[in-house]
Order: sequence, then C-alpha cells, then structure tokens
Amino acid sequence: MTVLVAYAPASEGREALSEGIKEAHLRKSDLLIVNIGRGHHDLEPEEVRGLETRLAEAGLGLTIESSVLSDPGDAVIQIAQDRNVDMIVIGLRHRSMVGKLILGSTVQRILLDATCPVLAVRSDKL
Amino acid sequence: MLDSAMAALASLADPSLLIMLLIGTVAGLVMGLIPGLGGTGAVAILLPITFGMEPPQALALLIGALAVVHTSDTVSAVLLGAPGSASASVTMLDGYSMAKKGEAARALTLAFLSSMAGGIIGAIGLTLAIPLARPLVLSFASPELFMLTVLGVALAAVLSRGNIIKGVSAGLLGLVLGMVGTSPTTAEERFTFGSLFLGDGLSLVAVALGIFGLAEIASRASQRRGQKETISLGGGWGRGIREWLSHWTQVIRGALIGIWAGVLPGVGATAGTWLAYGQAVATAKDKRKFGKGDPRGIVGPESANNSVEAGDLIPTLLFGIPGGVPSAMLLGMLLTYGIQPGPSIITEHLDLMYLIVWSFAIASILGALFCFLSVKQLAKLTKVPFAVLAAGLVAVMLLGSFQEGGQLGDLWIMIILGVFGWLLKSTGFPRAPFLIGFVLAIPLERYYFLTDSLYEGFDWMLRPGVLVFLAILVLPIIWAFIKFIRARRKTNFDDGHRDEQPEDDEAPLKNSNWSLVAAGIFTAAFAAALISSTSFSPEARLVPQLVSIGGLVFSGILLFTEIRTRLRARTEGAGWTLDAGFAFKTFAWMTGFLALTAVFGYLIAVTIFIPAFLLVVARARLKVAVIYTGVLYLVLLALPSLLPIDLPQGWFNTLV
Repeated sequence: MTVLVAYAPASEGREALSEGIKEAHLRKSDLLIVNIGRGHHDLEPEEVRGLETRLAEAGLGLTIESSVLSDPGDAVIQIAQDRNVDMIVIGLRHRSMVGKLILGSTVQRILLDATCPVLAVRSDKL
Repeated sequence: MLDSAMAALASLADPSLLIMLLIGTVAGLVMGLIPGLGGTGAVAILLPITFGMEPPQALALLIGALAVVHTSDTVSAVLLGAPGSASASVTMLDGYSMAKKGEAARALTLAFLSSMAGGIIGAIGLTLAIPLARPLVLSFASPELFMLTVLGVALAAVLSRGNIIKGVSAGLLGLVLGMVGTSPTTAEERFTFGSLFLGDGLSLVAVALGIFGLAEIASRASQRRGQKETISLGGGWGRGIREWLSHWTQVIRGALIGIWAGVLPGVGATAGTWLAYGQAVATAKDKRKFGKGDPRGIVGPESANNSVEAGDLIPTLLFGIPGGVPSAMLLGMLLTYGIQPGPSIITEHLDLMYLIVWSFAIASILGALFCFLSVKQLAKLTKVPFAVLAAGLVAVMLLGSFQEGGQLGDLWIMIILGVFGWLLKSTGFPRAPFLIGFVLAIPLERYYFLTDSLYEGFDWMLRPGVLVFLAILVLPIIWAFIKFIRARRKTNFDDGHRDEQPEDDEAPLKNSNWSLVAAGIFTAAFAAALISSTSFSPEARLVPQLVSIGGLVFSGILLFTEIRTRLRARTEGAGWTLDAGFAFKTFAWMTGFLALTAVFGYLIAVTIFIPAFLLVVARARLKVAVIYTGVLYLVLLALPSLLPIDLPQGWFNTLV
C-alpha cells in the first residue's frame, strides 16, 4: 500500500504533501514522494527527517524516488505504475485555457494518463 | 518533376558517383563511432576532399556520410553505455539496459532498422517538400530572401539550447566573423588588418573544425582508457525485427518529429531525439519499462535522429537557411560551386536536389546493411581510447583545413577558434548559431543591399512574405519571454516539460570566472568590430555596425549578469579545473604540431607529433605508437597522388 505525492517547492506542492500525509495515515500506507520541481529544489534534509520520524511513529515508511524520464508528468506516472501505488496526490492551481494549450499542463497529463485514482488538491481554497 | 527524379536516379548508376556514395557511407559510419564528431565532424573532415570534385560527386560523398552518422553512433551507446554523439544518449537509456540483460542484438536491430527507416522517411519528406515549397520559393524576391537569412540566424540563436542571450551573442559574433574579408558591395577589405590571406575571408572548414572539431578533441582527450568491459551481442535479432515491425507507428512518428526538428534552425539531432523519446513515453499507456529496455524508447529516437539530417536539408536547399551545423557547411560548399540555394536551385539545379534525395535514401539502406554485417568489428572499434584517436584526428583536421586556401594562417586561426570553441562549449554557449551566422553573413549583406537598391525606403517591409517572416521572428521571442517570466515568478511548475531535455553537465564551467571571461571576449570583440568599422566607406560600414551594436547590447547584458552573479556568489566558481588544464595542454600540443609543420613541413611534423602525443598524452604502448605512426605516414605519403590534396610545406622545405 503506497500513496504517491507529486511534490514541487510551491504552495501547490506543499498542499499536496500535507494532504498526502493525511491520506497515508488514513489508509495506513507508506508515502512515496516524487519531486517534479524544476532544477534541484528538493525537500530540505531536516524536513525529510522530521517527516520520516512522524511517519515511523505510525509505522509507515517514506521513500523519495526519481525517474530517468525528464518530463515530470511521465515520471510520476511511471513510478506510480512501477510501484503499483494506490493513489497519486497532486496539487493544482488555476490555469487559463490558452495557457494550458500553449504551455501544456503537467497536472492535466497526470490526471489523464494515470492508471490509479488521483487526488487533486487546490491550494487557493475559498 | 518525376523525370528529373528518375534522371537523378539513373545518374547514380554512374560508377564514380556510386563509389563516392559508398566511400561517404563507410566514412560516415566510422565517424559516427568516434565520440564528439557526429555529422558536423563528418562533413568538415570530408569537405576538403571534395574541393577538386564535380558537384554531383562531392554531394554523393557528403550526403552519404551525413545520412549514416546517426546509424552507427548507436553501437557504443548500446554496447558500452557511452554514446558516440549527444543524440545517441537517448538510445542509451533503453538500449544499454537491454544490452545489460544480454539482449544487445535486439537493441541494435531495433536501432539500425529504425535509423534506416528514419533516413528513408526523411528523404521522402525532402522530396515532398520540393513541389510543396516550389511556388512559395519562386515567389521570393530579395526582401524575402533577406528576411530568411535574418530568420535563419535569429531562430538558430533563439531555439538553441540554453540562454537566448548567449545564443544571440554567438550568432552575431558569427556574423561579424563572416564579414572578415572583401565586402560584397564595395569590394573593400574589412577586418583584415592589412593581412593578405584574410582578404578572402576565413575558411569555412577551418572555422567549423576549430569551433567544433578541435574543441571536442580538447575536452575529451583526457579519456586515456578505453572501455574495458564490453557486453556481448547476445541474441534477439529475430525478436528485434518483429518488434520493429510491430512498432511501425512509432517509427513514422519519430521520423516526422525528426523532420520537424530538422526544419527548425538550431534545433538539431539532440533536441529532436529527446522530443521523439518524450512522444514515445507520452503515447505509451504502460510507461513502466521506459529507461529499463523498452523497444519504443529505441525505435522513435533512432528514427528521429536520422530524419533530422534530412529535415535540415529542407530549409538549407529550398530557402538557403541552414537547419543545422552540417547543412550550414553543405550550404557553404554549394556556394563555392556557385550553386545558390533557394529559387535558383529549384529552377536550374533540380537534378542535384533529387541526387541528394536519392543519395540520402540509398545511403540510409547501405548504412544499416553495413552495420548489420560489421557490428562485431564496429564494437571493437569503440574500445579504442579517445586519446589514441585524437592524435590522428588532429593531424587529419589540420590537413583538412589547409586544403581550402593552402595557407598556414588558416591553421593558426583554426587553433585559436578551437580554444574559443572549447570556451563556448564549457561555459554553455550554443555553437550552432555561431557557425550559421558565419555562413549567412555575406548572403545577408548582399540581399540587404539588393533590397535597399530595388525598393524605396521601407516599402519592402510591407511585402506580405516579409510580414509573415517578421511574425515568425517575433513569436519565439515572445514565447521565450513568457517562459522566462513564469520561471522568475515560479509559476511554471505545472507547465509542460516535454520539449526540454534533462539538464546535462555539458557546460561544467558555467557561472564561473570562465564564463565571465567569455562574456568579456564577446564584448571586446564587438567593441573592436564597431571601432574598426568606422574607417570603412558608408556602404561597407552599415551592416557590420548594425551587427556589432546589436552584439554590444547583448554581450553587455551578458557581462552585466555575469559580473553580478560573480559578486553575489560567496564561493569561488570552478577555477582552473583539471579538465581545463588538460584542454589547454592539448591545445599546446596542437600549437606545437603546427609550429613543427611551419618549420619542417607536414610529413616530418606528423612523424614527431604522433608518437610523442601517443606516448606522453595517450600513454599508449611503444608498439602501438610505432605502427600507428608508420601507417599514418604511408597513407599521408600516398594521399596526394590519390586525391587532390596538398601537404603543407614548411620553412625548411623552401630552403631545399
């Protein structure tokens, strides 16, 4: 049993992470983090250690994984299929139609390509 | 149209053409195996041989090589996990994993067959482009042709990887360098500093071999040890063929992506193959096997990197703007034969166009066939350490760039540009716009003055074709600007990344004192060009001044950002690294070789340089060094009687 969180160093990513942690506790499953941010802005080591101990208290494991695929959407899907995860958690924000058409949207691609349930979280709530 | 196509096929029955095509194919395959050479190196090394030939023979040789470079570069990627070219590193992802599982033959079958199909589809694309573009091309007048040359340099600069400002600076500096020599409008000498041999302009072969060839050798010569373990070929030939047939849609899709990447200037084989890989992953429902030996990860990219070279030829031949570096050199070659690409090639030299198409298709098939037959020998060749190859390559490259003008000065320029090319490569400047700018400098100026004399004021700007090209010019700039802003605001996490290739460590000296020096050199060069152009007549002055003012603006921005990052950075960036030291040592060896040549002549210099380099730098065994030197000496001795090649004579020879 695993919950995959697509993490990016932005409010969407942090929202997804906190929601993913909740989901992992709820489902009593391990947490798997995939970094989809550009460049090397991964989670801080202290943050990871804190998260690890918190999950370990509940008897859950934490892994951070990356893929050879350069496109973050494809990477998330690949790892999800490979690890046979139960759920993908992603954070999203509003994007205009034109913006999605021209620049593309990783979130949209994950939603359409995923072969498991996807939990989409919005950071800019009402 | 069909008649000329058939006539071109019939002309290929001419034994001299067929032999050239065969030689070109074999040479292309061998050069594909050597890391770092690629299509650029293949064309640059073969170009000097063609100087004495008729255009059809020369084209058969060069196209034969260009068509198959990306067929053989897969071998080392699959067997050693060390790609022969940047574009083959995509194949490595899945091919090497397959090979590690003992299925190298399966991976190679998939790769060779896809390369062949990519080449053929590329040739078909080139054929179809001729009637499609014909009415368009024939409607072009000098304003459109001028805009096309501007577009060629600008798109190459914008679409090349990395920083746009770096790309534009490199493109503009290429333009300035291309203007060295006699002005096309007023026949006065520019930027020659009174030197006679600069009056003809810089030699294209010397510039290309310096910026790409020597720079590549210097950055790789530290690889003394060849790969020890090789993976056995294993089985799976039949399985490879079956899989290839079942993935035919991926083959075609990859080839089409490759053609498109080729048509765009500055988007070369590397970007094209990554795009094809991205597409293969995107369209696959089950993505688990990618990177672990998925046949789809080999088929698409391999098909794409061969069709890129055909796609490159489309804008090169039809519009006269090179789609990539190898085709930029081909363009330069055609210009020396007096064949003007663009409208005139379609009306007067249609047979040559079809000859290129046929050569490309036939060479693709031959290349795959040769690869299948000789894969065991090719695998052995990939085990030779690069430092051993480098000795011979330096000798061949120096000999090659001597052929165009027969001047030792060209060779000195080549080494200087080699150092510059190495600096560009290591600090993350794209080199393609530089060479494309160099080739297009004179056409750009000529078309500008034609336009200026035929049209009053800026009337030509209102021609529909010109307006369309202006729009094409502006769009990618706006696009890049939007992406830049989004990256600055960090709102781009959700944007698609599929068009981007993974960050590689191609530019180890980025953001260091080295890149500061590079920016300084750019600024100084543009300033010097601006100052020395004040002494020209108004006609000869206009374009160089415009270019150098533009260059000053861009390189100034570059210098400013470099200084700012150097001031902000607490830690020292990469200083005198080990690799930099090795590169400069290699350049010192090259300089020594050239000095020896200048004094004693080429043959004696070779007999001193090769064994010394092999023993000291490559640390090869004495036996290897002796045999290597002996064979090379004999070949060089026989070469002038076989081919129209002159060996450089030294100061010593003039005494005797």
